Amino acid sequence: MDLGLKVAEVVETSSSEFLAQCYELDGAPALGSMVRTKGKDCEIYGIVCASATHSVEPGRRIMARGQGAQSETDVFKANPQLAKLLCSDFRALVVGHGRGRSMYQYLPPSPASIYAFVYTCKSEEVRDFTKSLNFLSLLIDTRLPVATDEVIAAFLRLASQTQQEPQDFLVKAGKDLAWLLSNDIRRLDSILKRLRNDREE
Amino acid sequence: MRLGTVIFGSLMHGVQVKLDPGRSVEEIAVGRYVAIKGEKKRFFGMITDVSLEAVDPRAMVMPPDISDPFIAKVVSGTTTYGKISVLPMLTISGDAATMLEGPQPAKTVPAHFSEVQLASQRDVELVFGPEDRQRFYIGTPLDMETKVCINMEELVKRSNGVFGKSGTGKTFLTRLLLVGMLQKSGAVSLIFDMHNEYGWEGKSEKGHRVKGLKQLFPGKVAVFCLDEAYARRRNVNVDHMVKIGYDEIEPEDIALLRQTFNFTDASIQAIYGLARRFGDKKWFESTLTLGEEESKKVQKEMEIHDSTWRNLRRSLMNLQRFPFLMSHAPDDAVKNMLGYLERGINVVLEFGSYDDISAYILVANLLSRRIYTQYREKVDISDAKGNKEPVPMVITIEEAHKFLNPEVATQTIFGKIAREMRKYNVTMLVIDQRPSGIDEEVMSQLGTKITCLLDNERDVDAVLTGVAGKSELKSVLSRLESKQQALIFGHALPMPVVVKVREYGTPESYKELGPLAGDGKAKTDKLDDLWG
Amino acid sequence: MTLDIVQLYGQIEAMAGDLKSRQADYILRLSSALDTLKSAALNQDRLKQKIEKAKATWLVAGLKENIDIHKAASALPDDFVAVASDGSHVDVDRHQSARLFLLNIGLVQLQYGSKADALLLSIPSLYFGDEQLSLRSQDGRQVLLEGPLLGIKRSVEECRYLADRVCEIPGGLPVVALVDGSLIMWGLVGQRYEDFVVEQLLIEGFLKQLDRFAGQNEKNKTAVASYISFPRSTDVVNSLRLHVCPYDPVDCDKYCKGKFEGRECDRVGGLLDRALFSEFLSHGERSAVFFSSSTIIEKYGAHQVCFFYVKLDEEVARVEVPLWVADDQSLLDLVHAVVLDQSRKGFGYPVALSEAHEQAVVSGADRERFWSMVERALNEDNIRIQHSLKQRSKRVRWI
Repeated sequence: MDLGLKVAEVVETSSSEFLAQCYELDGAPALGSMVRTKGKDCEIYGIVCASATHSVEPGRRIMARGQGAQSETDVFKANPQLAKLLCSDFRALVVGHGRGRSMYQYLPPSPASIYAFVYTCKSEEVRDFTKSLNFLSLLIDTRLPVATDEVIAAFLRLASQTQQEPQDFLVKAGKDLAWLLSNDIRRLDSILKRLRNDREE
Repeated sequence: MRLGTVIFGSLMHGVQVKLDPGRSVEEIAVGRYVAIKGEKKRFFGMITDVSLEAVDPRAMVMPPDISDPFIAKVVSGTTTYGKISVLPMLTISGDAATMLEGPQPAKTVPAHFSEVQLASQRDVELVFGPEDRQRFYIGTPLDMETKVCINMEELVKRSNGVFGKSGTGKTFLTRLLLVGMLQKSGAVSLIFDMHNEYGWEGKSEKGHRVKGLKQLFPGKVAVFCLDEAYARRRNVNVDHMVKIGYDEIEPEDIALLRQTFNFTDASIQAIYGLARRFGDKKWFESTLTLGEEESKKVQKEMEIHDSTWRNLRRSLMNLQRFPFLMSHAPDDAVKNMLGYLERGINVVLEFGSYDDISAYILVANLLSRRIYTQYREKVDISDAKGNKEPVPMVITIEEAHKFLNPEVATQTIFGKIAREMRKYNVTMLVIDQRPSGIDEEVMSQLGTKITCLLDNERDVDAVLTGVAGKSELKSVLSRLESKQQALIFGHALPMPVVVKVREYGTPESYKELGPLAGDGKAKTDKLDDLWG
Repeated sequence: MTLDIVQLYGQIEAMAGDLKSRQADYILRLSSALDTLKSAALNQDRLKQKIEKAKATWLVAGLKENIDIHKAASALPDDFVAVASDGSHVDVDRHQSARLFLLNIGLVQLQYGSKADALLLSIPSLYFGDEQLSLRSQDGRQVLLEGPLLGIKRSVEECRYLADRVCEIPGGLPVVALVDGSLIMWGLVGQRYEDFVVEQLLIEGFLKQLDRFAGQNEKNKTAVASYISFPRSTDVVNSLRLHVCPYDPVDCDKYCKGKFEGRECDRVGGLLDRALFSEFLSHGERSAVFFSSSTIIEKYGAHQVCFFYVKLDEEVARVEVPLWVADDQSLLDLVHAVVLDQSRKGFGYPVALSEAHEQAVVSGADRERFWSMVERALNEDNIRIQHSLKQRSKRVRWI
């Protein structure tokens, strides 16, 4: 996992989520990964719930250019203006905030600050934050641009890899989900099936 | 060890407990004890049912894929969970009354989400009390090592019943109870041993020889026998032979045999008529020895129908064939028996090869009736004069439904004893495999019931009549193992218990049961003889 | 308010029919022009002289090379730079409150090859105050920079910023600088404007910037060119007219005054150069280089404007270059190759120019925002602002 890199800047912000523009094209952190940015008096933690690459100006469409090229890199080389006309950004759902050494799993009083830098969270940060999974209900109840179940499963998969006992973590998370989704077995089942890591026996 | 939490329930029907995830339903057995940690009180109860539940009913129709061990782990205890029903019976501790007097019957239920644990040894001891001078160790609760003890003094204050279908261990259980009563109840036993199981020695199911009461407690037991030949053959150490004279047989004794001999009302009338005519002491012999002519005369005089007369005579002749019946007995069996009983020595009457039901009913009823009469007198006298009352006595009878079925219950002495409770210091221990045959009123008079497996629903209902938590206990009763398990409940116990009955028949068991055992005091003499 | 389609229908039908019949005639003339081009090439020198002596009513292309030359593009260098600029302006608006205009110059630099990179800039400048809003002669005459003059001023600024950028490019890289439209300042042709205007805008303005490009060639191979899409020029066709004209010297006033049809030369007339070269050139080829004979060119000196046509995937475009570029084969080839490549990358129009255009555009919303900012600034200083009623009615949408 990344060790806390600065990857983007907040360009849109609200109480429950923020949009961050990446410094590099295709530089968005993985779906479901945790990121950290700054709010008014606190650190704000978010989970990446959608990312996209598109032209900087809303009116302009990207045209296919690579018919004769060997790879995408060649396309960018042959058309150097493209890198400046495209940008990648991602949306993060706010799941908690921190002050000093304490972490809170409910929304911060104020949204993330505009132009605040966004960092990927280090493994230790993720592990500390996921000691409790109270914020799962935030994820479950929100309408997200990407199917919520995918985001939840992606987040849990990634978070489990920061734990000493990944399988135990997943089982515990699964049980928390079972309570939250007690009246929607179909949804629980679909999320649980997505929690399979390749390393599972 | 934590099982789960209380989620629902009532005092009448018990509380529902949701099992913690990780606790498998398969580990739980009906009949086990649990302790519930309520807000202020601690409850003690028995598991009476186990069920499977799901939070969303759809999970039952479209079950999650538990072939995937991960999903199985997640789903167990959350989406799907096990549930047990617990009948809370006692509250222990937390309560001034409990602290002074021990566990109290539960009058309420534990609060929502109270923690439920498997009962600990300490809990069981607290409820039933430790093994001591009055408490006899009868067995262990399911899956536990703790000793469950019955207070024998309390037990014999009422009549009690031992039930179970054949082969389930009633006899062993009875032996243990008899030993217990002998040692700790302060009462003396008169046992009518139809199949020769209790006196000198008995047989296990597998055919092994098992020591009887006399072998274990030679100084405390006297064996009487009806069958001399048998005693000799089997090398039974008999203290007295029992003979009964015709002059001892009263009309009631014969009337009791109406079901066995198919007496009609007319026959019964005839019997009483004959007694009036010939006198209580002579009527039996007279009826037997009447010649043809005289018979006819009597018949006509008493307006006894021919077939009735013939039936009657035939029945009496049937009895006549028993060698232990004679014109006049050489000695007074009753007096002999009473002699021992008054001295606190238990009497076992073995029937030898006369395990015929008519013999049993006749002899048991006859002797008991006379002994009881004596007891009544003595009690009345002691009441008047302030003397010491006679030693409390427990009469043990088998095939109890023959004596206590609704038709005859009012006529036998046993029915009377049951009704009178311990008015005259006599109670009973009835042993039967068809409790549904026993009169309801009698059943309700039984203080403590010790039941092995019963598979007839009517029998089950009969045993549980009038018991609190009947329907819950029903499921426990029908799930007993076919051997060495019994459900015990009633007067002598603070709460119902399912026990694995202690061993009887092994050298260790004899050692434990022998005169050394129980109150921890060493006793000497002839110990070596005992160890088989 | 409504359009009566039914009435119009018949007229449209008539038009279509008319166009069809004209089409046939058109094809004949095109074919005739092609033949003429081939035959003219055979007698190149004669045509050259005829052109020099002619007094024609139209602009005729001067021949720099053989008229029938068609050349494929040479290979692009591995590393090179294409730079372009474009501009837009927000004019002094009589209806708005203050007197000013805004020029927004878009500048794009695209470096290709081993260090491929792009620079996209947008540079606004605000012109206010009498000195900036008008041109003044030394003796105090004044002309407001508005309308067509403002457009010319903008072109000059586009060129200036382009030259600035080109000067920043490190050595060792061939550079092609592109502007949109024509190098020829058509707006200044004729006597419309006083000398000082031409002096300031063209001589001291535009041509001085062209000097800078030329000067850069000490450091990098640098060419400057302009690109005209869908050119409506007929210079070359007109020279073909001269070729078929029976008169020598040609004198249209003398021989064909008042005539617009039926002349000998009309058999190759009515065609645009681009139509001719669309037939004549193969994909990617350029035509011969021609001279423009616009009168204003007289003032261009060393930067005399030459042009050629190049056949792209979707059209024939006209590329104009100063003489010093046309005289240098390597620079000419560079311009040809780069224009072709840029057009391909830009899906039919040079990408550097289209991106420069994007950088230059001021949207309606931006325009409004700009005017509000201005108003706010002026309001704060309590300067009286006059709104015309027309403007107010435009601002508030009413029924």
